[in-house]
Amino acid sequence: MTDMKKRPTADAKPVGHVTIADRRQFLIGSAGLLGAAALGAGTSLGMGRARAQSRAEISFASAAFFGKETFGDLIKAFNESQDRVLVKNIELPPPSSSTEVYQGLVQQLARRNGTPDVFSQDVIWIAGFAAAGWALPLDEYFPADKRSAYFTGTLDACTYGGKLTALPWFMDSGMFYYRKDVLEKHGKVPETWADMATIAAAAQKAGDIDFGYLWQGKQAEVLVCDAVEIITSNNGAILAPDGKSSLINQKGAVEAIQFLHDTIATTKISPQDVLSWDEEPSRQPFTSGKAMFMRNWSYVYPIAQDAKASQVVDKVGVAPLPSFPGGKSSACLGGYQLGVNANSKQREAAIELLTWLSSTETQHRIALNFGLAPTRPALFQDEQIKKEQPFMASLENVFTGATARPKTPQYAKVTLALQSGISKALVSGNVQAEMDALADQITKIVA
Amino acid sequence: MTAAATLPGAGRPRRLGRALPSAFWALILLTPAFVSLASVSFYPIVNGLYLSLTNTSLITQDQDFTGFANYVQLWGDPQFWNAWWHTLWFTTASTVLETVIGLGMALILCEAFKGRGLVRAAMLVPWAMPTVVTSKMFGWLFDGQNGIINYILLHAGLIDQNINWYGSTSTAMITIIIADVWKTTPFMALLLLTGLQTVPNSLIEAARMDGAKGWITFWHIRLPLLMPTLLIAGLFRALDAFRVFDLVYVLTGGGPADSTETLSTLSYKVLFSTLQFGYGSAVSTAMFITEGIIALVFVVYLIRQIRRAQ
Repeated sequence: MTDMKKRPTADAKPVGHVTIADRRQFLIGSAGLLGAAALGAGTSLGMGRARAQSRAEISFASAAFFGKETFGDLIKAFNESQDRVLVKNIELPPPSSSTEVYQGLVQQLARRNGTPDVFSQDVIWIAGFAAAGWALPLDEYFPADKRSAYFTGTLDACTYGGKLTALPWFMDSGMFYYRKDVLEKHGKVPETWADMATIAAAAQKAGDIDFGYLWQGKQAEVLVCDAVEIITSNNGAILAPDGKSSLINQKGAVEAIQFLHDTIATTKISPQDVLSWDEEPSRQPFTSGKAMFMRNWSYVYPIAQDAKASQVVDKVGVAPLPSFPGGKSSACLGGYQLGVNANSKQREAAIELLTWLSSTETQHRIALNFGLAPTRPALFQDEQIKKEQPFMASLENVFTGATARPKTPQYAKVTLALQSGISKALVSGNVQAEMDALADQITKIVA
Repeated sequence: MTAAATLPGAGRPRRLGRALPSAFWALILLTPAFVSLASVSFYPIVNGLYLSLTNTSLITQDQDFTGFANYVQLWGDPQFWNAWWHTLWFTTASTVLETVIGLGMALILCEAFKGRGLVRAAMLVPWAMPTVVTSKMFGWLFDGQNGIINYILLHAGLIDQNINWYGSTSTAMITIIIADVWKTTPFMALLLLTGLQTVPNSLIEAARMDGAKGWITFWHIRLPLLMPTLLIAGLFRALDAFRVFDLVYVLTGGGPADSTETLSTLSYKVLFSTLQFGYGSAVSTAMFITEGIIALVFVVYLIRQIRRAQ
């Protein structure tokens, strides 16, 4: 291209300036360039063809996580570990911009052209992708005996319409943080919400602590997580088992939301500020030693143990969240799971990558290098993980109670309704009335 | 090339002029501007209007023409009207406050005093800051636990316990309005200052000679002459305020209990969280229409002002 552009201008110049020698040199030069270009193109074409013949080329898209390495390094390791599949890594925005990651994935998948062949997805997108027919059912590749190696809660979240449409990768869940030193004075780790409230109130009254219990009440996704946990721990549910109507105005759910409202209004174990707090604002008072109990994700623990950022080093314990009498502790499931594009033209290669990414070895590596918890319970007994990530090893019993958020392809609409409706109930205190309105609204969306 | 550019002055246009009607020549010259404008501004609007008449959704993969179904749904959607009223309230409150305070600032800056240039430049700092930064800053200032505003009010004895500014439905919107006023008043002041400087000094001097005091000069000379500027500045500000997004998105996300949801945040949620492009476009179109009405009201007043001046 550059040669073609250069030549006419050189010719158009008054001949006087250009000697014949110049011209010859120019021509030789350009010929050389052309030759080199041709050679370059030839070799790269040849190489490409050779590679395509021996290796299946697929692509992998995921939100960008960082640790001691990146997902790009992970893919590189896979490419080097075998010579059948060559994976191109498509990096999406980091998980903190999950709306953008979602958009990016949806735009790609909606084209139905097979790119990306393999992708990672937040647990709340699984149903939507499955219902749209973008995610390949994986049942034939991962029969029951292979699935039993994963947490049941995660498998449940990966199943839509009776089919496994995603493969568990790594997970997170809500958990109950407590201050060991303060709790020694006031009792033992509470197993029911009522005990928790009593202990928190006593500690607050004794002046040992400013806030009894911190949670997240901001009108945001995290509020839905807090709500799922407490509602499930009272045997309530947001959606009916068939997913066609809402049960959020039933007794179990209403009592649970009422409890959250009471922590601010009646028992006063939570400051009114929790209504505008998401994860970080609620984490700060806890790690600065002002609070006794807190519901939050696993990321808080390393911060609490970091002497530079925390005043409660070695004073923090983690337990499953409390429950109501007759209910079971429940933890809202988070994390990213793997999926295969239903339109992928390289299915076998995609399954090979999927299997490798979710294998014990890779999950082990992700746990050590990214600090992301495995979805295989067996790994929590691993000596190296116990040694390098001592906190993670203690999470097994928390993750056992992991519960999925409502599984519906309309989740994006449902969650907006939930955020708004629950926030209204918490602010006004008219829990039953607001839940009735919310149930109507959700039923309209999912019916 | 150069020859072609210099020659036409002499002979060419006359020849071309005979071949083409002059209006046609003008049209050709306007084409590039028209095409670029049409592609970046006209086409998106029309496409948005079309989308609002369909049930397009990336998730369900629907893309059918549904007529006015979206608008019917919109009319009966309490979320939309909730956001509509909030947006209108935000726009009115912030525009009025910014205009009044901005006018005060402009009047001060119009007077000659030492260091005026420095003050004029420094005044623009809040406006030059990215809104996201302002939002974070106000988030800390009005923090319910450690915010300095609570600290000052508490120690001044004005309140007896910390106020949870962003967590209470009665204060969240007010706090956002305060943040917006802080940020945008300098911009208003600057616009009004340029307006004030066009008021002829001779008129003010004449009024003073006739014995008019400061207030009367302001009320009868400066304000009437400033009116067109005031209306244009108000129009700019109102249209801008109506699109408020960053402050709400960063500070409250629309909560608590939807008390700070505005049309921009709502349409963002509908368009990009739920990927309902059809319904989301209907929300945006409703927003566009409301803005059109606001602009119309201002323009009618403006024209009346100008007519009266003539």
